[in-house]
Amino acid sequence: MLKLNQVHTAIGGLQIIQNVSLEIGKGEFVALLGSNGAGKTTLFRTIAGVLKPHAGSVTFEGVPIDRLPVHKIVERGLVLCPQGRQLFPELSVQKNLLLGAYPIRGEKKRIQKNLDRVYALFPILRERINQKAGTFSGGEQQMLAIGRALMSEPKMLLLDEPSVGLAPLIVKLIADVISNINQEMDTTVFLSEQNANMALNITQRGYVLESGRCVLDGDCQHLKTDEKVRKAYIGA
Amino acid sequence: MELFLQQVFNGIMFGSTYAIVALGLTLVMGILNIPNFAHGHLYMLGGYITFFFIGTLGLGFWPSLVLTLIVLGLLGVLMERIVYRPLTDQPHINAFIAAIGALIFLESLALVVWGPQGLRIPNPYPQNFELLGITIGLQRLLVIIGAITLIFGLHVFMKHTILGTTIEAVAQNREGAMLNGINVNRVSAVTFAISSATAAVAASFLSPIFMLSPSMGAILGMKAFIIVILGGMGSIPGAILGGYILGVIEALGGGYISAAYKDVFAFGALIIILTVKPTGIFGKKEA
Ligand SMILES: Nc1ncnc2c1ncn2[C@@H]1O[C@H](COP(=O)(O)OP(=O)(O)OP(=O)(O)O)[C@@H](O)[C@H]1O
Ligand SMILES: [Mg+2]
Repeated sequence: MLKLNQVHTAIGGLQIIQNVSLEIGKGEFVALLGSNGAGKTTLFRTIAGVLKPHAGSVTFEGVPIDRLPVHKIVERGLVLCPQGRQLFPELSVQKNLLLGAYPIRGEKKRIQKNLDRVYALFPILRERINQKAGTFSGGEQQMLAIGRALMSEPKMLLLDEPSVGLAPLIVKLIADVISNINQEMDTTVFLSEQNANMALNITQRGYVLESGRCVLDGDCQHLKTDEKVRKAYIGA
Repeated sequence: MELFLQQVFNGIMFGSTYAIVALGLTLVMGILNIPNFAHGHLYMLGGYITFFFIGTLGLGFWPSLVLTLIVLGLLGVLMERIVYRPLTDQPHINAFIAAIGALIFLESLALVVWGPQGLRIPNPYPQNFELLGITIGLQRLLVIIGAITLIFGLHVFMKHTILGTTIEAVAQNREGAMLNGINVNRVSAVTFAISSATAAVAASFLSPIFMLSPSMGAILGMKAFIIVILGGMGSIPGAILGGYILGVIEALGGGYISAAYKDVFAFGALIIILTVKPTGIFGKKEA
Protein backbone atom coordinates (compact mmCIF):
# COMPACT_ATOMS: atom_id res chain seq x y z
CA MET A 1 0.00 0.00 0.00
CA LEU A 2 2.76 2.44 1.01
CA LYS A 3 6.24 2.04 -0.36
CA LEU A 4 9.36 4.11 0.26
CA ASN A 5 12.35 3.49 -1.93
CA GLN A 6 15.72 4.92 -0.83
CA VAL A 7 14.23 8.15 0.45
CA HIS A 8 16.52 11.04 1.39
CA THR A 9 15.19 14.20 2.97
CA ALA A 10 17.08 17.34 3.90
CA ILE A 11 15.93 20.32 5.96
CA GLY A 12 17.73 23.60 5.37
CA GLY A 13 20.60 21.83 3.64
CA LEU A 14 20.97 19.34 6.48
CA GLN A 15 20.58 15.65 5.64
CA ILE A 16 17.99 14.24 8.04
CA ILE A 17 16.54 11.12 6.42
CA GLN A 18 19.07 8.92 4.69
CA ASN A 19 18.27 6.09 2.40
CA VAL A 20 15.09 4.83 4.03
CA SER A 21 13.20 2.06 2.27
CA LEU A 22 10.13 0.39 3.70
CA GLU A 23 6.87 -1.17 2.66
CA ILE A 24 3.53 -1.44 4.41
CA GLY A 25 0.70 -3.63 3.19
CA LYS A 26 -3.03 -3.00 3.33
CA GLY A 27 -4.51 -3.48 6.78
CA GLU A 28 -1.17 -3.71 8.53
CA PHE A 29 -0.38 -2.06 11.86
CA VAL A 30 3.26 -1.05 11.90
CA ALA A 31 5.45 0.82 14.41
CA LEU A 32 8.22 3.32 13.75
CA LEU A 33 10.56 3.40 16.73
CA GLY A 34 13.31 5.88 17.43
CA SER A 35 14.59 8.16 20.16
CA ASN A 36 14.51 11.97 20.24
CA GLY A 37 15.75 13.41 16.99
CA ALA A 38 15.96 10.07 15.20
CA GLY A 39 13.92 11.51 12.32
CA LYS A 40 10.48 9.98 12.85
CA THR A 41 8.64 13.26 12.39
CA THR A 42 10.76 14.19 9.40
CA LEU A 43 10.02 10.84 7.77
CA PHE A 44 6.28 11.20 8.37
CA ARG A 45 6.25 14.75 7.04
CA THR A 46 8.03 13.48 3.95
CA ILE A 47 5.42 10.77 3.41
CA ALA A 48 2.60 13.28 3.93
CA GLY A 49 4.14 15.61 1.36
CA VAL A 50 4.94 18.51 3.71
CA LEU A 51 8.62 17.95 2.95
CA LYS A 52 9.84 16.81 -0.46
CA PRO A 53 12.53 14.11 -0.62
CA HIS A 54 15.52 15.12 -2.74
CA ALA A 55 16.14 11.53 -3.72
CA GLY A 56 14.14 8.33 -3.71
CA SER A 57 10.43 7.81 -4.18
CA VAL A 58 7.24 7.43 -2.16
CA THR A 59 4.37 5.52 -3.71
CA PHE A 60 0.90 5.03 -2.31
CA GLU A 61 -1.30 2.34 -3.86
CA GLY A 62 1.13 2.18 -6.73
CA VAL A 63 1.01 5.91 -7.48
CA PRO A 64 4.07 8.12 -6.90
CA ILE A 65 3.05 10.80 -4.40
CA ASP A 66 6.34 12.48 -3.54
CA ARG A 67 5.74 15.40 -5.93
CA LEU A 68 2.08 15.91 -5.01
CA PRO A 69 0.93 18.81 -2.84
CA VAL A 70 -0.16 17.79 0.66
CA HIS A 71 -3.90 18.16 0.06
CA LYS A 72 -3.77 15.85 -2.96
CA ILE A 73 -2.16 13.16 -0.83
CA VAL A 74 -4.87 13.57 1.79
CA GLU A 75 -7.50 13.25 -0.95
CA ARG A 76 -5.97 9.89 -1.87
CA GLY A 77 -6.66 8.65 1.64
CA LEU A 78 -3.26 8.98 3.30
CA VAL A 79 -3.61 11.17 6.40
CA LEU A 80 -1.02 12.28 8.95
CA CYS A 81 -2.04 13.00 12.52
CA PRO A 82 0.95 15.20 13.30
CA GLN A 83 3.18 15.55 16.33
CA GLY A 84 2.14 18.66 18.25
CA ARG A 85 -1.40 17.97 16.98
CA GLN A 86 -1.64 21.10 14.81
CA LEU A 87 -5.22 21.81 15.86
CA PHE A 88 -7.08 25.04 15.16
CA PRO A 89 -6.95 26.49 18.67
CA GLU A 90 -9.57 29.23 18.26
CA LEU A 91 -12.13 26.96 16.65
CA SER A 92 -14.57 24.70 18.46
CA VAL A 93 -14.22 20.94 18.72
CA GLN A 94 -17.02 20.53 16.23
CA LYS A 95 -15.40 22.84 13.67
CA ASN A 96 -12.04 21.14 14.04
CA LEU A 97 -13.73 17.84 13.28
CA LEU A 98 -15.69 19.26 10.36
CA LEU A 99 -12.46 20.60 8.87
CA GLY A 100 -11.08 17.08 9.14
CA ALA A 101 -13.90 16.10 6.82
CA TYR A 102 -12.86 18.73 4.27
CA PRO A 103 -11.94 16.14 1.60
CA ILE A 104 -15.50 14.78 1.72
CA ARG A 105 -17.19 18.18 2.16
CA GLY A 106 -20.73 18.30 0.93
CA GLU A 107 -21.40 14.65 1.73
CA LYS A 108 -23.60 15.42 4.71
CA LYS A 109 -24.63 11.88 5.60
CA ARG A 110 -21.12 10.51 5.47
CA ILE A 111 -19.80 13.38 7.58
CA GLN A 112 -22.51 12.87 10.19
CA LYS A 113 -21.75 9.15 10.30
CA ASN A 114 -18.04 9.83 10.81
CA LEU A 115 -18.79 12.46 13.43
CA ASP A 116 -20.88 9.95 15.37
CA ARG A 117 -18.11 7.41 15.06
CA VAL A 118 -15.51 9.81 16.47
CA TYR A 119 -17.83 10.77 19.33
CA ALA A 120 -18.33 7.10 20.07
CA LEU A 121 -14.55 6.59 20.25
CA PHE A 122 -14.03 9.68 22.42
CA PRO A 123 -17.25 10.49 24.31
CA ILE A 124 -15.53 13.42 26.01
CA LEU A 125 -15.43 15.27 22.67
CA ARG A 126 -19.20 15.10 22.41
CA GLU A 127 -19.55 16.75 25.81
CA ARG A 128 -17.29 19.58 24.67
CA ILE A 129 -18.63 20.22 21.18
CA ASN A 130 -18.50 24.00 21.52
CA GLN A 131 -15.30 24.33 23.52
CA LYS A 132 -12.31 25.89 21.77
CA ALA A 133 -9.62 23.34 20.96
CA GLY A 134 -6.91 25.58 22.41
CA THR A 135 -8.40 25.32 25.90
CA PHE A 136 -8.13 21.52 25.93
CA SER A 137 -5.69 19.50 28.02
CA GLY A 138 -2.94 17.58 26.23
CA GLY A 139 -4.82 14.30 26.30
CA GLU A 140 -8.04 15.84 25.05
CA GLN A 141 -6.14 17.60 22.27
CA GLN A 142 -4.62 14.31 21.21
CA MET A 143 -8.06 12.69 21.10
CA LEU A 144 -9.34 15.58 19.02
CA ALA A 145 -6.37 15.32 16.66
CA ILE A 146 -6.97 11.60 16.13
CA GLY A 147 -10.68 12.20 15.72
CA ARG A 148 -10.05 14.92 13.19
CA ALA A 149 -7.72 12.68 11.20
CA LEU A 150 -10.44 10.00 11.05
CA MET A 151 -13.12 12.33 9.72
CA SER A 152 -12.20 11.83 6.07
CA GLU A 153 -12.11 8.01 6.45
CA PRO A 154 -8.43 7.62 5.55
CA LYS A 155 -7.27 4.35 4.06
CA MET A 156 -4.01 4.80 5.88
CA LEU A 157 -3.26 6.77 9.01
CA LEU A 158 0.17 8.01 10.08
CA LEU A 159 0.20 8.72 13.81
CA ASP A 160 3.18 10.70 15.06
CA GLU A 161 3.89 10.06 18.74
CA PRO A 162 0.34 10.23 20.05
CA SER A 163 1.43 9.20 23.56
CA VAL A 164 4.06 11.86 24.15
CA GLY A 165 3.59 13.76 27.40
CA LEU A 166 0.40 11.97 28.41
CA ALA A 167 -0.52 10.19 31.64
CA PRO A 168 -0.34 6.36 31.55
CA LEU A 169 -4.11 6.01 31.77
CA ILE A 170 -4.64 8.24 28.73
CA VAL A 171 -1.87 6.42 26.86
CA LYS A 172 -3.72 3.17 27.49
CA LEU A 173 -6.98 4.64 26.24
CA ILE A 174 -5.37 6.02 23.11
CA ALA A 175 -3.56 2.73 22.44
CA ASP A 176 -6.91 0.92 22.63
CA VAL A 177 -8.51 3.36 20.23
CA ILE A 178 -5.67 3.04 17.74
CA SER A 179 -5.92 -0.75 17.81
CA ASN A 180 -9.61 -0.41 17.28
CA ILE A 181 -9.08 1.90 14.29
CA ASN A 182 -6.81 -0.70 12.74
CA GLN A 183 -8.96 -3.73 13.48
CA GLU A 184 -12.58 -2.62 13.36
CA MET A 185 -12.30 0.19 10.87
CA ASP A 186 -9.88 -1.63 8.64
CA THR A 187 -7.50 1.30 8.46
CA THR A 188 -3.81 0.71 7.81
CA VAL A 189 -1.86 2.37 10.64
CA PHE A 190 1.76 3.49 10.82
CA LEU A 191 2.52 4.58 14.38
CA SER A 192 5.64 6.46 15.46
CA GLU A 193 6.61 6.15 19.11
CA GLN A 194 9.42 6.63 21.57
CA ASN A 195 7.30 4.60 23.91
CA ALA A 196 8.42 1.27 22.45
CA ASN A 197 6.62 -0.67 25.14
CA MET A 198 3.26 0.61 24.12
CA ALA A 199 3.95 0.46 20.40
CA LEU A 200 5.33 -3.08 20.37
CA ASN A 201 2.38 -4.34 22.38
CA ILE A 202 -0.23 -3.22 19.89
CA THR A 203 1.47 -3.33 16.48
CA GLN A 204 2.38 -6.33 14.37
CA ARG A 205 5.86 -5.31 13.27
CA GLY A 206 8.15 -2.31 13.34
CA TYR A 207 11.04 -0.33 11.93
CA VAL A 208 13.75 1.23 14.07
CA LEU A 209 15.14 4.59 13.03
CA GLU A 210 18.48 5.95 14.22
CA SER A 211 20.02 9.21 13.02
CA GLY A 212 17.75 9.19 10.00
CA ARG A 213 18.62 5.65 8.94
CA CYS A 214 16.54 2.56 9.22
CA VAL A 215 18.75 0.25 11.30
CA LEU A 216 16.43 -2.61 12.12
CA ASP A 217 13.06 -4.05 11.26
CA GLY A 218 11.06 -7.13 12.06
CA ASP A 219 7.98 -8.41 13.82
CA CYS A 220 7.24 -7.23 17.32
CA GLN A 221 8.12 -10.47 19.09
CA HIS A 222 11.51 -10.32 17.46
CA LEU A 223 12.06 -6.62 18.21
CA LYS A 224 11.00 -6.99 21.83
CA THR A 225 13.72 -9.53 22.45
CA ASP A 226 16.37 -7.67 20.47
CA GLU A 227 19.17 -6.60 22.79
CA LYS A 228 19.62 -3.18 21.22
CA VAL A 229 15.92 -2.37 21.27
CA ARG A 230 15.63 -3.44 24.88
CA LYS A 231 18.53 -1.27 25.92
CA ALA A 232 17.58 1.80 23.92
CA TYR A 233 13.81 1.89 24.12
CA ILE A 234 12.46 -0.33 26.78
CA GLY A 235 14.99 0.34 29.47
CA ALA A 236 15.43 -3.23 30.57
CA MET B 1 -26.79 68.73 19.86
CA GLU B 2 -27.41 68.92 16.11
CA LEU B 3 -23.71 69.36 15.48
CA PHE B 4 -23.00 66.37 17.67
CA LEU B 5 -25.52 64.14 15.91
CA GLN B 6 -24.41 65.34 12.51
CA GLN B 7 -20.81 64.50 13.31
CA VAL B 8 -21.70 61.13 14.77
CA PHE B 9 -23.61 60.33 11.59
CA ASN B 10 -20.66 61.37 9.44
CA GLY B 11 -18.35 59.43 11.71
CA ILE B 12 -20.41 56.29 11.30
CA MET B 13 -20.32 56.76 7.56
CA PHE B 14 -16.54 57.08 7.47
CA GLY B 15 -16.29 54.34 10.06
CA SER B 16 -18.25 52.02 7.77
CA THR B 17 -15.67 52.47 5.05
CA TYR B 18 -12.82 52.07 7.51
CA ALA B 19 -14.36 48.94 8.99
CA ILE B 20 -14.68 47.25 5.60
CA VAL B 21 -11.17 48.12 4.50
CA ALA B 22 -9.64 47.10 7.83
CA LEU B 23 -11.60 43.86 7.83
CA GLY B 24 -10.12 42.88 4.47
CA LEU B 25 -6.66 43.81 5.67
CA THR B 26 -7.01 41.71 8.82
CA LEU B 27 -8.15 38.69 6.83
CA VAL B 28 -5.17 38.83 4.51
CA MET B 29 -2.73 39.46 7.34
CA GLY B 30 -4.08 36.44 9.15
CA ILE B 31 -3.42 34.20 6.15
CA LEU B 32 -0.10 35.58 4.98
CA ASN B 33 1.37 36.75 8.25
CA ILE B 34 2.66 39.74 6.41
CA PRO B 35 1.03 43.16 6.08
CA ASN B 36 -0.33 43.87 2.62
CA PHE B 37 0.78 47.49 2.39
CA ALA B 38 -0.97 47.74 -0.96
CA HIS B 39 -4.42 47.11 0.54
CA GLY B 40 -5.42 50.80 0.57
CA HIS B 41 -4.34 51.03 -3.03
CA LEU B 42 -6.77 48.31 -4.01
CA TYR B 43 -9.45 50.51 -2.45
CA MET B 44 -8.23 53.47 -4.50
CA LEU B 45 -8.24 51.40 -7.67
CA GLY B 46 -11.78 50.28 -6.84
CA GLY B 47 -12.84 53.92 -6.85
CA TYR B 48 -11.28 54.50 -10.26
CA ILE B 49 -12.71 51.34 -11.75
CA THR B 50 -16.14 52.47 -10.58
CA PHE B 51 -15.44 55.82 -12.21
CA PHE B 52 -14.52 54.01 -15.40
CA PHE B 53 -17.80 52.09 -15.51
CA ILE B 54 -20.02 55.04 -14.55
CA GLY B 55 -18.16 58.02 -15.97
CA THR B 56 -16.50 56.53 -19.05
CA LEU B 57 -18.86 53.75 -20.08
CA GLY B 58 -21.99 55.41 -18.76
CA LEU B 59 -23.29 52.40 -16.84
CA GLY B 60 -25.61 52.76 -13.86
CA PHE B 61 -24.38 52.82 -10.27
CA TRP B 62 -25.38 49.28 -9.27
CA PRO B 63 -24.07 47.46 -12.36
CA SER B 64 -20.83 49.43 -11.96
CA LEU B 65 -20.57 48.38 -8.34
CA VAL B 66 -20.97 44.71 -9.20
CA LEU B 67 -18.48 44.95 -12.07
CA THR B 68 -15.97 46.72 -9.82
CA LEU B 69 -16.35 43.96 -7.28
CA ILE B 70 -15.58 41.33 -9.91
CA VAL B 71 -12.66 43.21 -11.45
CA LEU B 72 -10.99 43.86 -8.10
CA GLY B 73 -11.70 40.34 -6.89
CA LEU B 74 -9.81 39.01 -9.90
CA LEU B 75 -7.05 41.54 -9.38
CA GLY B 76 -6.71 40.33 -5.79
CA VAL B 77 -6.29 36.76 -7.00
CA LEU B 78 -3.71 37.92 -9.53
CA MET B 79 -1.81 39.86 -6.90
CA GLU B 80 -1.68 36.87 -4.57
CA ARG B 81 -0.53 34.69 -7.43
CA ILE B 82 2.24 36.86 -8.88
CA VAL B 83 3.33 39.05 -5.98
CA TYR B 84 2.96 37.05 -2.77
CA ARG B 85 2.75 33.33 -3.49
CA PRO B 86 6.24 33.05 -4.97
CA LEU B 87 7.52 34.50 -1.67
CA THR B 88 5.67 32.12 0.67
CA ASP B 89 8.78 30.42 2.02
CA GLN B 90 11.06 33.43 1.79
CA PRO B 91 12.05 35.78 4.62
CA HIS B 92 9.28 38.24 5.52
CA ILE B 93 11.32 41.21 4.36
CA ASN B 94 10.93 40.02 0.75
CA ALA B 95 7.15 40.17 1.00
CA PHE B 96 7.40 43.62 2.61
CA ILE B 97 9.38 44.87 -0.34
CA ALA B 98 7.02 43.16 -2.80
CA ALA B 99 4.06 44.87 -1.10
CA ILE B 100 5.70 48.26 -1.41
CA GLY B 101 6.46 47.52 -5.05
CA ALA B 102 2.82 46.60 -5.63
CA LEU B 103 1.54 49.81 -4.05
CA ILE B 104 3.90 52.00 -6.06
CA PHE B 105 2.81 50.19 -9.20
CA LEU B 106 -0.90 50.65 -8.46
CA GLU B 107 -0.56 54.32 -7.58
CA SER B 108 1.53 55.04 -10.67
CA LEU B 109 -0.98 53.16 -12.78
CA ALA B 110 -3.82 55.36 -11.53
CA LEU B 111 -1.70 58.44 -12.07
CA VAL B 112 -0.88 57.50 -15.67
CA VAL B 113 -4.37 56.40 -16.64
CA TRP B 114 -6.52 58.97 -14.81
CA GLY B 115 -4.11 61.82 -14.02
CA PRO B 116 -3.31 63.55 -10.75
CA GLN B 117 -6.37 65.83 -10.66
CA GLY B 118 -9.35 64.79 -8.55
CA LEU B 119 -12.20 63.04 -10.35
CA ARG B 120 -15.84 63.02 -9.41
CA ILE B 121 -18.52 60.42 -9.95
CA PRO B 122 -22.07 61.75 -10.32
CA ASN B 123 -24.05 61.05 -7.15
CA PRO B 124 -26.78 58.50 -7.97
CA TYR B 125 -28.79 59.41 -4.87
CA PRO B 126 -28.40 63.16 -4.28
CA GLN B 127 -31.61 63.41 -2.20
CA ASN B 128 -31.50 64.52 1.43
CA PHE B 129 -33.90 64.09 4.27
CA GLU B 130 -34.17 65.49 7.77
CA LEU B 131 -34.05 63.31 10.85
CA LEU B 132 -33.70 64.47 14.47
CA GLY B 133 -32.78 67.89 13.14
CA ILE B 134 -29.87 66.71 11.02
CA THR B 135 -29.58 66.39 7.28
CA ILE B 136 -28.99 62.92 6.00
CA GLY B 137 -27.82 62.41 2.43
CA LEU B 138 -29.26 59.29 0.86
CA GLN B 139 -25.93 58.22 -0.64
CA ARG B 140 -24.28 58.63 2.78
CA LEU B 141 -26.92 56.44 4.31
CA LEU B 142 -26.27 53.94 1.54
CA VAL B 143 -22.57 53.83 2.51
CA ILE B 144 -23.61 52.74 5.99
CA ILE B 145 -26.25 50.24 4.90
CA GLY B 146 -23.93 48.79 2.27
CA ALA B 147 -21.16 48.31 4.82
CA ILE B 148 -23.42 46.67 7.36
CA THR B 149 -24.77 44.32 4.70
CA LEU B 150 -21.24 43.39 3.65
CA ILE B 151 -20.11 42.82 7.23
CA PHE B 152 -23.14 40.67 7.92
CA GLY B 153 -22.60 38.71 4.70
CA LEU B 154 -18.95 38.12 5.53
CA HIS B 155 -19.85 37.01 9.03
CA VAL B 156 -22.27 34.40 7.70
CA PHE B 157 -19.68 33.27 5.15
CA MET B 158 -16.90 32.94 7.72
CA LYS B 159 -18.92 31.28 10.45
CA HIS B 160 -21.38 29.14 8.57
CA THR B 161 -19.71 27.89 5.40
CA ILE B 162 -16.89 25.39 5.14
CA LEU B 163 -14.96 27.60 2.70
CA GLY B 164 -15.17 30.51 5.16
CA THR B 165 -14.03 28.27 8.00
CA THR B 166 -10.97 27.23 5.99
CA ILE B 167 -9.84 30.87 6.02
CA GLU B 168 -9.79 30.82 9.81
CA ALA B 169 -8.17 27.41 9.80
CA VAL B 170 -5.30 28.47 7.53
CA ALA B 171 -4.77 31.60 9.62
CA GLN B 172 -4.60 29.58 12.83
CA ASN B 173 -2.47 26.69 11.61
CA ARG B 174 -1.24 26.57 8.05
CA GLU B 175 0.34 23.12 8.20
CA GLY B 176 -2.59 21.75 10.17
CA ALA B 177 -4.88 23.01 7.41
CA MET B 178 -2.82 21.32 4.67
CA LEU B 179 -2.85 18.05 6.57
CA ASN B 180 -6.65 18.20 6.57
CA GLY B 181 -6.68 18.29 2.81
CA ILE B 182 -7.18 22.03 2.49
CA ASN B 183 -5.55 23.61 -0.53
CA VAL B 184 -3.92 26.54 1.27
CA ASN B 185 -2.95 28.31 -1.94
CA ARG B 186 -6.56 28.37 -3.01
CA VAL B 187 -7.60 29.67 0.39
CA SER B 188 -5.02 32.46 0.07
CA ALA B 189 -6.39 33.35 -3.35
CA VAL B 190 -9.99 33.36 -2.10
CA THR B 191 -9.00 35.53 0.85
CA PHE B 192 -7.27 38.00 -1.43
CA ALA B 193 -10.27 38.09 -3.72
CA ILE B 194 -12.62 38.81 -0.81
CA SER B 195 -10.38 41.41 0.69
CA SER B 196 -9.86 43.35 -2.55
CA ALA B 197 -13.47 43.01 -3.65
CA THR B 198 -14.82 44.33 -0.34
CA ALA B 199 -12.35 47.24 -0.32
CA ALA B 200 -13.44 48.05 -3.87
CA VAL B 201 -17.11 48.00 -2.96
CA ALA B 202 -16.42 50.35 -0.05
CA ALA B 203 -14.80 52.68 -2.57
CA SER B 204 -17.73 52.36 -4.98
CA PHE B 205 -20.16 53.44 -2.26
CA LEU B 206 -18.07 56.37 -1.09
CA SER B 207 -16.77 57.71 -4.40
CA PRO B 208 -19.95 59.59 -5.41
CA ILE B 209 -19.45 61.68 -2.25
CA PHE B 210 -15.71 62.29 -2.32
CA MET B 211 -13.26 63.12 -5.04
CA LEU B 212 -11.03 60.34 -6.30
CA SER B 213 -7.30 60.91 -6.25
CA PRO B 214 -4.38 58.52 -6.75
CA SER B 215 -3.08 59.28 -3.25
CA MET B 216 -6.29 58.40 -1.41
CA GLY B 217 -5.22 54.75 -1.19
CA ALA B 218 -2.09 55.49 0.81
CA ILE B 219 -3.98 57.49 3.45
CA LEU B 220 -6.75 54.93 3.81
CA GLY B 221 -4.29 52.06 3.86
CA MET B 222 -2.41 53.71 6.69
CA LYS B 223 -5.62 54.19 8.64
CA ALA B 224 -6.59 50.59 8.05
CA PHE B 225 -3.31 49.56 9.66
CA ILE B 226 -4.03 51.80 12.62
CA ILE B 227 -7.42 50.17 12.97
CA VAL B 228 -6.04 46.65 12.75
CA ILE B 229 -3.52 47.41 15.49
CA LEU B 230 -6.13 49.29 17.49
CA GLY B 231 -8.63 46.45 17.27
CA GLY B 232 -6.06 43.78 18.05
CA MET B 233 -4.08 41.97 15.36
CA GLY B 234 -6.07 39.42 13.46
CA SER B 235 -9.33 40.17 15.27
CA ILE B 236 -12.32 40.55 13.00
CA PRO B 237 -14.64 42.17 15.59
CA GLY B 238 -11.66 44.37 16.51
CA ALA B 239 -11.32 45.60 12.93
CA ILE B 240 -15.02 46.41 12.69
CA LEU B 241 -15.29 48.16 16.05
CA GLY B 242 -11.93 49.86 15.51
CA GLY B 243 -13.15 51.20 12.17
CA TYR B 244 -16.26 52.76 13.67
CA ILE B 245 -14.38 54.16 16.67
CA LEU B 246 -11.82 55.80 14.41
CA GLY B 247 -14.53 57.23 12.15
CA VAL B 248 -16.45 58.76 15.04
CA ILE B 249 -13.34 60.12 16.79
CA GLU B 250 -12.21 61.78 13.57
CA ALA B 251 -15.60 63.28 12.87
CA LEU B 252 -16.07 64.61 16.41
CA GLY B 253 -12.52 65.97 16.53
CA GLY B 254 -13.01 67.50 13.11
CA GLY B 255 -16.37 69.04 14.02
CA TYR B 256 -15.51 70.41 17.44
CA ILE B 257 -11.83 71.20 17.21
CA SER B 258 -10.59 71.55 13.66
CA ALA B 259 -11.17 69.67 10.45
CA ALA B 260 -7.56 70.37 9.47
CA TYR B 261 -6.36 68.11 12.28
CA LYS B 262 -8.68 65.24 11.37
CA ASP B 263 -5.86 62.79 10.77
CA VAL B 264 -4.07 63.80 13.95
CA PHE B 265 -6.97 62.40 15.96
CA ALA B 266 -6.58 59.03 14.30
CA PHE B 267 -2.96 58.70 15.32
CA GLY B 268 -3.65 60.23 18.74
CA ALA B 269 -6.33 57.62 19.39
CA LEU B 270 -3.91 54.88 18.38
CA ILE B 271 -1.26 56.08 20.79
CA ILE B 272 -3.69 56.42 23.69
CA ILE B 273 -5.33 53.04 23.18
CA LEU B 274 -2.03 51.25 22.80
CA THR B 275 -0.73 52.87 25.97
CA VAL B 276 -3.73 51.63 27.91
CA LYS B 277 -3.96 48.23 26.19
CA PRO B 278 -0.83 47.34 24.24
CA THR B 279 -2.45 44.40 22.46
CA GLY B 280 -5.36 46.45 21.11
CA ILE B 281 -9.02 46.31 22.06
CA PHE B 282 -9.62 42.66 21.19
CA GLY B 283 -5.98 41.59 21.20
CA LYS B 284 -4.81 38.31 22.64
CA LYS B 285 -2.18 38.22 25.34
CA GLU B 286 0.60 36.96 23.14
CA ALA B 287 -0.39 38.29 19.73
N1 LIG C 1 12.88 22.50 10.90
C1 LIG C 1 14.06 21.95 11.21
N2 LIG C 1 15.22 22.62 11.05
C2 LIG C 1 16.41 22.07 11.34
N3 LIG C 1 16.54 20.84 11.83
C3 LIG C 1 15.44 20.11 12.00
C4 LIG C 1 14.14 20.61 11.71
N4 LIG C 1 13.24 19.66 11.99
C5 LIG C 1 13.94 18.62 12.43
N5 LIG C 1 15.25 18.87 12.46
C6 LIG C 1 16.31 17.96 12.88
O1 LIG C 1 16.09 16.72 12.30
C7 LIG C 1 16.39 15.67 13.20
C8 LIG C 1 15.22 14.72 13.29
O2 LIG C 1 14.13 15.40 13.87
P1 LIG C 1 12.70 14.76 14.01
O3 LIG C 1 11.79 15.79 14.58
O4 LIG C 1 12.31 14.16 12.72
O5 LIG C 1 12.96 13.61 15.09
P2 LIG C 1 11.93 12.71 15.88
O6 LIG C 1 12.40 11.33 15.75
O7 LIG C 1 10.56 13.01 15.45
O8 LIG C 1 12.16 13.18 17.38
P3 LIG C 1 11.09 13.33 18.58
O9 LIG C 1 10.89 11.94 19.11
O10 LIG C 1 11.80 14.18 19.56
O11 LIG C 1 9.87 13.93 18.04
C9 LIG C 1 16.76 16.32 14.51
O12 LIG C 1 18.16 16.31 14.64
C10 LIG C 1 16.27 17.73 14.37
O13 LIG C 1 17.09 18.62 15.07
MG1 LIG D 1 8.96 13.64 16.31
